[in-house]
Amino acid sequence: MNPLIFTTILMTVLLGTMIVMMSSHWLMIWIGFEMNLLAIIPILMKKYNPRTMEASTKYFLTQATASMLLMMAIIINLMHSGQWTITKVFNPTASIIMTSALAMKLGLTPFHFWVPEVTQGISLTSGLILLTWQKLAPMSILYQISPSINLNILLTMAVLSILVGGWGGLNQTQLRKIMAYSSIAHMGWMTAVLVYNPTLTMLNMLIYIMMTLTMFMLFIHSSSTTMLSLSHTWNKTPLTTTLILITLLSMGGLPPLSGFMPKWMIIQELTKNSSIILPTLMAIMALLNLYFYMRLTYSTSLTMFPSTNNMKMKWQFETKRITLLPPLIVMSSLLLPLTPMLSILD
Amino acid sequence: MLKIIIPTIMLMPLTWLSKKNMIWINTTTYSLLISLISLSLLNQPSNNSLNFSLMFFSDPLSAPLLVLTTWLLPLMLMASQHHLSKEPLTRKKLYITMLTMLQTFLIMTFTATELISFYILFEATLVPTLIIITRWGNQTERLNAGLYFLFYTLMGSLPLLVALISIQNLTGSLNFLLIQYWNQALPDSWSNIFLWLACMMAFMVKMPLYGLHLWLPKAHVEAPIAGSMVLAAILLKLGGYGMLRITTMLNPQTSFMAYPFLMLSLWGMIMTSSICLRQTDLKSLIAYSSVSHMALVIVAVLIQTPWSYMGATALMIAHGLTSSMLFCLANSNYERTHSRTMILARGLQTLLPLMAAWWLLASLTNLALPPSINLIGELFVVMSSFSWSNITIILMGANITITALYSLYMLITTQRGKYTHHINSIKPSFTRENALMALHMTPLLLLSLNPKIILGFTY
Repeated sequence: MNPLIFTTILMTVLLGTMIVMMSSHWLMIWIGFEMNLLAIIPILMKKYNPRTMEASTKYFLTQATASMLLMMAIIINLMHSGQWTITKVFNPTASIIMTSALAMKLGLTPFHFWVPEVTQGISLTSGLILLTWQKLAPMSILYQISPSINLNILLTMAVLSILVGGWGGLNQTQLRKIMAYSSIAHMGWMTAVLVYNPTLTMLNMLIYIMMTLTMFMLFIHSSSTTMLSLSHTWNKTPLTTTLILITLLSMGGLPPLSGFMPKWMIIQELTKNSSIILPTLMAIMALLNLYFYMRLTYSTSLTMFPSTNNMKMKWQFETKRITLLPPLIVMSSLLLPLTPMLSILD
Repeated sequence: MLKIIIPTIMLMPLTWLSKKNMIWINTTTYSLLISLISLSLLNQPSNNSLNFSLMFFSDPLSAPLLVLTTWLLPLMLMASQHHLSKEPLTRKKLYITMLTMLQTFLIMTFTATELISFYILFEATLVPTLIIITRWGNQTERLNAGLYFLFYTLMGSLPLLVALISIQNLTGSLNFLLIQYWNQALPDSWSNIFLWLACMMAFMVKMPLYGLHLWLPKAHVEAPIAGSMVLAAILLKLGGYGMLRITTMLNPQTSFMAYPFLMLSLWGMIMTSSICLRQTDLKSLIAYSSVSHMALVIVAVLIQTPWSYMGATALMIAHGLTSSMLFCLANSNYERTHSRTMILARGLQTLLPLMAAWWLLASLTNLALPPSINLIGELFVVMSSFSWSNITIILMGANITITALYSLYMLITTQRGKYTHHINSIKPSFTRENALMALHMTPLLLLSLNPKIILGFTY
């Protein structure tokens, strides 16, 4: 793609999300979402083949439906409250419709079906943008309407997302689908604590984005999209295998890595609000996620997976340049002792 | 406490910056020096704890465990030298780094005051152990072993996290220094029963309790020697230590909640001892004997009398040293024959007589011969369980007999009899191996002269 055009389109995506996050008028928020959606379609289709077309079409259809539902909720809110400003959405119907629309945009169960298929059909870099940047805008709206969300619906969606994210990822060997299911599960964790303490949603989002960025960068570095090709990295750059191990264990939520911090804080917040069974269930279901991350580490870092004889040929290719990998790795694994600095996010 | 923790952390730059021929020498020497620092903690002036700061303390229960942990690192390094000798330098350094990281987390676990900090470090010990088992183990079953180890422990400990946080909500603080004074009886309700279960299951899985012990034979057998040593000697004791700490907060539910676990432990110790008699794999035999000894510790902790606490603490230290020594001996066989089958390496007394002496001493302490501290531990546990209920003496007596049976069986199979014809080309014992056994045995024998330092806080 012409670099100038590509930059323009990327800037439009950024602008769309910024408009969503910074507006106080509901119509501008909807416009921001549409701008974001329309601009990201060419980015998803950077390689022009039928698989990408299918993925982009699926993404467009689900997101457009969600935007329409959002518009409907906005209009109902307008009818009942008479104004366009973003505050808590007082009308329960509008609140439920809005929550469903935003859940569709985020990929929460029961609207999660598009996430694995879209993520699988696009390239690794586009998948990176899809799973990290695109989650910011809906999450910011959820944050702003959080006082008025129906708790039952949100918690049901959250717990179901964690279950689906766990069980769905068990049978996958394609890395992008694994990351998609991990995204579904993490979105579940984020929305579970939204009503109790939205700051922790932001914390979880921050740490999740860092870890997902790191994982995708590592995949791009070894140009691998399946578990099998990832298992050949020990031939080319053995250090990458250690980094993959650390980041995957962090995503699984093992102490003392920083991935444990959001889980711990969320469990603490939920327990303080006297729901005990829910965080226990969520924590145990997160072990399913850990299982397929462990499987990935087994084939990549902890064994020297059998490979073909001409692995030396891989040494001749240039490694792709990855930006900011060292700070990302440090941040996605060593942040746990900095937990008291959580007060920054308030 | 930083005077122990910071030098241990500094062992990591030491390994990475050492020259190729100095890594083992440097790390072993400095870790021995660090263990000497920790010996000063054994001087406990009174029954109260020595509080170093708000975050670290040491009391008569954690000081012997801490000394055992720091004593074991140089021994692990000495034991690993042979099987790592053919690996490239970076991998050797990685292995030592994993051991050092594990050591740091263990030291901080045993001295933590805040229970959530204890929990985080308790979980943190899983990661280096997992990497040691799955990366440096020798058979393909090690992958499965690592998964079992990780998931059994995590499944038990996630409810513990929730339980600790809810206790913090109720009482305001989880700092152990405060809790021992603030302690109130837990009201009687269903949710407190679940709270009791959530608190204890993590440690039950770690000990392990008989029904949840499936991970232990796998993990012990598949781990390399340092992994086996640290698993048997220290990581199991983390469970016992945690139980001893947390039962102070859990009265009065313990009086009736403990029954199922007591039954499982009493039956389990007989079962696992009996399985030992039928094992062909040497490491597996030692692993099951660990389950059996730890079942005694579980019985002692759940009875909650002063004598049983003394017995539990003494038994933990004694079993740590004995079990680690047995794994080292089994490893010396494995390095020569590359097989763990017992009958393939029999009749060693004629070939390696000094090693036979160490085998004899290890087996004798394993079967709790007087006056070793193993006996003191077991005797206190047997006596206190007799006072709790007279019938348990039958089971305890049977267990002691079967323990003697399999320890002698192991000794006789590996040492006595005619050697096999394929075994006369094994290398003689290295000085390193003899030093390793001596360093295991000497504390064990010396402690029988002054056992009061390992008898814990109810002495």
